[in-house]
Amino acid sequence: MKNIKLLWFVAALLVISSCSKDFLNNPAPTDSVTDVTIFSSREGAEALLSGILRNQRSQFTSTDSGGLNSIFFARDVKGNDVVQADNWFGFDYAHENREPTYRRVRFTWEFPYYQINQANTLINGVTASEKISDVDKDYLISQGLALRAYYYFQLVMEFQQTYSYDPSLPAPPIYLELSTEGKPMSTVQAVYDQILSDLETAKSLSTDYRLDKSYLNENVIDGMLANVYLVMGRWADAEDAAHAAYQGYDLNGASYADGFNDISNSEWIWGMPQTLDQSNYYWGAPHSFTDFFTLSYQATFFNSDFVSLFSDTDVRNTFLGGALGGTPSSYFYYISTKFTFTFDADHPVMRTPEFMLVEAEAKARQDEFVEAGNLLFAIQSDRDPGAVKSGNTGDALIEEILVERRKELYAEVGVEWFDAKRLRRGLTRTGNSRLIRNLTPDDNRFFLKIPQVEIDANDNIDDSVNNGR
Amino acid sequence: MKSKLTLMLTPLLVLIMSFSFAQEKTITGTVTDQSGLPLPGVSVLVVGTTKGTQTDFDGNYTITAGVGQRLKFSYVGQKTSEVLVGASNVINVQLDEDAQALEEVVVVAYGKQKKEAIVGSIATVGVETIEKQKVTSITQAIQGSVPGVNIITSGGVPGENATIRIRGIGSINASAEPLIILDGSPYNGNLNNISQDQIESITVLKDASSTALYGSRGANGVIVLTTKGGKLNSAPVFTVSTSYGVSKNAVDFHPLVGAANYMKYSWEALRNANQYIDGNDATTAGQYATDNLLAGLGYNPYNIDNPIDANGNLVSGATLLWDTDWKDALLRKNGTRTEHGMTVSGGSEKTSYFASLNYLNQDGNVKTTKFERVAARMKIDSKVTDWLKIGANMAYTTSTSNIPTQSGSSFQSAVQWFYSVASVYPIYRRDSNGDFIYDDNGSLIYDYGNNTQTRNGNRAIFSGENGLGALYNYDLKFDRYNTDLSGYADFTITDYLSFKSTLSYQNYLFDQYQYISDEFGYAANVKGRVSQNRDITKTMNAIQALSFNKDFGKHNINVDAIYEAYSFKYDALGAQGVGFLPNVKVLDGSTTPEGVSGSFTDETLSSVLGRVGYNYGEKYFIEGSYRRDGSSRFAEDVRFGDFYSVGGSWIVSRENFLANSNFLSYLKLKGSYGELGNNQGIGYFPYLSVFDTGYNQLGNTGVLQGGVSDPNLSWEKTASLNYGVEFGLFKGRLNGSVEFYEKESVDLIYDKPLPISTGNSSITTNVGALKNTGIEVSLNADLINNKDFSWSAGLNFSFDDNEITELTQEEFINGNKKWKVGRSLYDYFIQEWAGVDPADGYGMWYKDILDVDGEPTGERETTKVYADATRYYNDKSSLPDVIGGFNTSLRYKNWDFNTLINFSFGSYIVDGTYQSLMGGFESAGRAAHADIADRWQQPGDITDVPLILGSNNDFNAQSTRFLYKNDYLRVRALSLGYSFGDRALDKIGMSSLRFYVQGDNLFTFQSHDGIDPEQSLAGSTNSRSYQLATISFGINAKF
Repeated sequence: MKNIKLLWFVAALLVISSCSKDFLNNPAPTDSVTDVTIFSSREGAEALLSGILRNQRSQFTSTDSGGLNSIFFARDVKGNDVVQADNWFGFDYAHENREPTYRRVRFTWEFPYYQINQANTLINGVTASEKISDVDKDYLISQGLALRAYYYFQLVMEFQQTYSYDPSLPAPPIYLELSTEGKPMSTVQAVYDQILSDLETAKSLSTDYRLDKSYLNENVIDGMLANVYLVMGRWADAEDAAHAAYQGYDLNGASYADGFNDISNSEWIWGMPQTLDQSNYYWGAPHSFTDFFTLSYQATFFNSDFVSLFSDTDVRNTFLGGALGGTPSSYFYYISTKFTFTFDADHPVMRTPEFMLVEAEAKARQDEFVEAGNLLFAIQSDRDPGAVKSGNTGDALIEEILVERRKELYAEVGVEWFDAKRLRRGLTRTGNSRLIRNLTPDDNRFFLKIPQVEIDANDNIDDSVNNGR
Repeated sequence: MKSKLTLMLTPLLVLIMSFSFAQEKTITGTVTDQSGLPLPGVSVLVVGTTKGTQTDFDGNYTITAGVGQRLKFSYVGQKTSEVLVGASNVINVQLDEDAQALEEVVVVAYGKQKKEAIVGSIATVGVETIEKQKVTSITQAIQGSVPGVNIITSGGVPGENATIRIRGIGSINASAEPLIILDGSPYNGNLNNISQDQIESITVLKDASSTALYGSRGANGVIVLTTKGGKLNSAPVFTVSTSYGVSKNAVDFHPLVGAANYMKYSWEALRNANQYIDGNDATTAGQYATDNLLAGLGYNPYNIDNPIDANGNLVSGATLLWDTDWKDALLRKNGTRTEHGMTVSGGSEKTSYFASLNYLNQDGNVKTTKFERVAARMKIDSKVTDWLKIGANMAYTTSTSNIPTQSGSSFQSAVQWFYSVASVYPIYRRDSNGDFIYDDNGSLIYDYGNNTQTRNGNRAIFSGENGLGALYNYDLKFDRYNTDLSGYADFTITDYLSFKSTLSYQNYLFDQYQYISDEFGYAANVKGRVSQNRDITKTMNAIQALSFNKDFGKHNINVDAIYEAYSFKYDALGAQGVGFLPNVKVLDGSTTPEGVSGSFTDETLSSVLGRVGYNYGEKYFIEGSYRRDGSSRFAEDVRFGDFYSVGGSWIVSRENFLANSNFLSYLKLKGSYGELGNNQGIGYFPYLSVFDTGYNQLGNTGVLQGGVSDPNLSWEKTASLNYGVEFGLFKGRLNGSVEFYEKESVDLIYDKPLPISTGNSSITTNVGALKNTGIEVSLNADLINNKDFSWSAGLNFSFDDNEITELTQEEFINGNKKWKVGRSLYDYFIQEWAGVDPADGYGMWYKDILDVDGEPTGERETTKVYADATRYYNDKSSLPDVIGGFNTSLRYKNWDFNTLINFSFGSYIVDGTYQSLMGGFESAGRAAHADIADRWQQPGDITDVPLILGSNNDFNAQSTRFLYKNDYLRVRALSLGYSFGDRALDKIGMSSLRFYVQGDNLFTFQSHDGIDPEQSLAGSTNSRSYQLATISFGINAKF
């Protein structure tokens, strides 16, 4: 009996004294990794790059505020060509979605900054790494810099007048590294300087190599530069960059009717791929809004004046009238079959015709009308066997190019809004629009107010930032 | 060494002594209480032997003993009596009530204590209170019974666990939930796994001295659940109970607009938008509204096209084809609740046992909602030798429930559905003319609102879903399997020293299964989806405790020294696949996998702790506790925390000057102070900044940087002060206590908001401090107590106050609250509604007039631009001023009546449901509240409801317009029972039989109608289903 008791005590003492330290040190997270792992190899850092790109099509906030595609589609519905029902994005269509407490405003601010912070971590982590080779560093940093620039470009487009209006106006703050302090507003000029610096460095470090078409290589970076130069009115630079962007990515008019859901299409330069296990599900605007033949929101229609721009032989004429009844004057008369919605539908971000048209416009602005007209007709004839060359020159040619951009890219990347904003033209609603709400040139409704949640937490920005917005 | 020898010799001596009394005789007698009633179940022991028996139902006993021996009679609540065996063979005994020991022992941290010895703040909910209620989740039984405990049961999902806050809210971001201890070990299963008939008592430990031994997990209070056990020396007792009840929602819903009015209002909203926003004249606008009404809604509940004319009137000849009452379609009017239970308990001289089996089947408010549970428990305690006692406690529970979503904003949430989708939309599919469409079997088809047809095809709201279809075409099943095993060995080393080793193990498997139809709803375009998650939680806890308890004259010293090791493992596994044939609902049938997931999470806690108590003459008590915890949740350098408490009490009534007081029979003063910690609810590795996996891009692994963290993150600490007085008046007929507490929590673990432009919305760090103070009062009275009639009543209430005492920055805006030093966490800070402008019907809010420096001048004006409105504190808080409960029990002959009421006064709530329903037709198809009838219609109208406007507006944005006082009083339990006479039962071998009718939540009186008053601490609604009111009939029988 005595021995049994002693045994117990000894056993208990042993248990107590032996286990304590290891016992507490053993637990470690299994569903996450540390920065040491990430920045000790190219594969590790590439995983962060993949994560950032995956997050471009995430379910960030809500159905109308999920990822990059939500920013684009909100721009699409602000124009005249697209008619949005009283549904998700309906308030964007009504130009009523810009107050500081609104979801759109918060998302369009928060999401780019989220991506920028991740890109900063990538750039700074790779730069500091002693284990990644210089060649690999160039490859990773160029993509990081380009992504950072791309999202600053979205921010400056959404939160201030366009560049040519007044580059000295306040613009979103600039962060180049992880910070726990809010920074003050910068200026439009400062943001563009940063964007150009990042993109030009990225370009110098880039090659044509990438893992797949959802990653960034020199084509994609040129495409980004082309649009930035376009906004800044640097036509020669825009021309060069646009031309470089689509090299190797050939027009493929026949595929226009294939549903815009396959990244392997030869004219897609950059896209967001999806699979059934990597899907943003119903948050996949434009597909989940424009497709009326698959279960989804079925909320996007097209303006009759826009539909009438297309000839019957144009492959881009995807419109069906009266599928939901009504008359041609009903806003819900025309639907489009351009986008086929499935959970694994890929999203286009950059396509060859966009950059051919950038090049054409840039040439036309530099009075190279013949070459510009040839580029334009290359697209027109690819899309429409019955196309006839207009022979336009001067402003008429530029207008024809701008119309062609709308005809080619409708409901994709917000091109009608983008052109109206950068060219300071206003947006006028016509025909069977659901709501006749017009934006005058330089209308405040071309940009958003600063979100209240930023003002509340940032010591360097106060309520007055929204004065006059 | 010497003591051990004694220990070995003692049983031998006893054995020898018992042989010396050879001359034994049979003694009989009756034991009664002070009013002369027979006492059944009194333990009768021959002192110095292990021989004993119990009195029967009539208080009679028979025992053999020798002359000169002593008989000891003991019974809970009565003073123990000893009688010398003399010449007589009959010994009748009358026991006196033990007024000093109000209850003999109370469960405390790591053990039990005499109630009088307690220096801290402890409240016990006994079996008699638990039995009066029908609770599915055991901790709900505390509501209204313990002062200072705020309990909110959100929603009517059976098996849903309540939110519990003991003495205010001690944390902002970490968990403020109390620690749950079941039979001595931390409980990590779902509380709904424990059936109420297994529980003997629920003890709530509130202050530092009572919780300090739980150290790092004690700051928010501790709830100790103790299961029933058998008694030594008692005959087997079988109990059988059964009850059947029906239930419906406990409070009424918000009234909604029917289809006829809905169409007119929709027309008006379109006309107003066209007239006032787009600037057309009234006639044009009216025509526009007529022409576009159906296109906006997508549906026409009338039999003719364009049913509303350009003046807003119904076209003659138009009749409604449908007027859907979604609420009626989605909710049960008569859910049922069935419960059967069986227990057996008893004990021999050395071994006692208890076993129970319980079955519960309860329907929820939303159709198809069901919770079904089988719970079994068995407990055995045995004195193996006189120095070793061992015991085992085993429980197995399995439950299965179908719980369709019933809160939140998903399309499938039933309450969200009927408060969102207007009555103009049909349940079943209709063609463009409004006629039913049938499937191949001739059955109606749920309308998902996304059919390609010119009319009645494209619903403007929640298209692609059907509220009823979500209930019947999808399955959402939760299966829970819970096994609890614990065992202990208790060594008596000497009569004052013992060592107890306890090991407990819990294995909890949670299986969540979801099937989404291949044919209907949101997964139809991938041919259905099945997802299944199977999570296993394993908790192991080992306690080694050395206890010393010895009297030195009038001095008593007791010491506990304890080592505890806690280990928690969480193993999650999930899979999801799509592409199913009709009626194939298992992952095997999936053609395409959509995702797999899995992870392990470990946590450990290693602690040494001790308690020293001293008392002098059971009059003066001092107690100190200390615990040192090491937690794996913090980095190595900062993971250890020291926690302690000291407390004392003085039983004044035992002083000579009060000894003979007839008025004051008991008086105790007490006080305690201690510092505790909190590491709960902050994740398992909150100090690490890591990259999260799961962001793969096609075949490439993807990670994203998680939030930023403070690597030196450590415990939250709470300093807690308690003092109080306990008293008994009129020979214990009126008992009560008054306590005051002050708890200050510092170094709060908080997600400090960061500007979102940094790419992170917050950083987890130790910032700020909070103070909770309160007064708790508890009164219990035995008003009448005689043979035929007894009446007792209890009242308890508390005033609790919450205050922020430190922040690292001047203020934080947190949703509709602003946190600032001196304010509560729950003080509203929102825009102030200024009514409706009679000129144009627009809503207005107040805004400050600013001076040239941008500072408020103190003057204010109204604005119609919501973004310009100033937010104000309005001295309204979502926390109540006073909460409490009242209970009373009446017995007249064989009838008994019990009721339990709880109340809460002084809190405010933002009714988000009403807010949404008053959206004023801003977007088409959204359901509306009947109050829309009071809207502004023409210039000059004086009303508080703005014009309805089919255009984006902020009229129903958050403001004081939707802030309501949320006082309520709820009759939680009401029961009427009849117990059959003992003698009648005795003949058929039963010892008791009671029939009863019981009502739970039958009556609710509230200051704001339309929602259940129990929503959330923060005063926000979330489309929750409503709590259930249940009427049950039941039988309890004992054999």
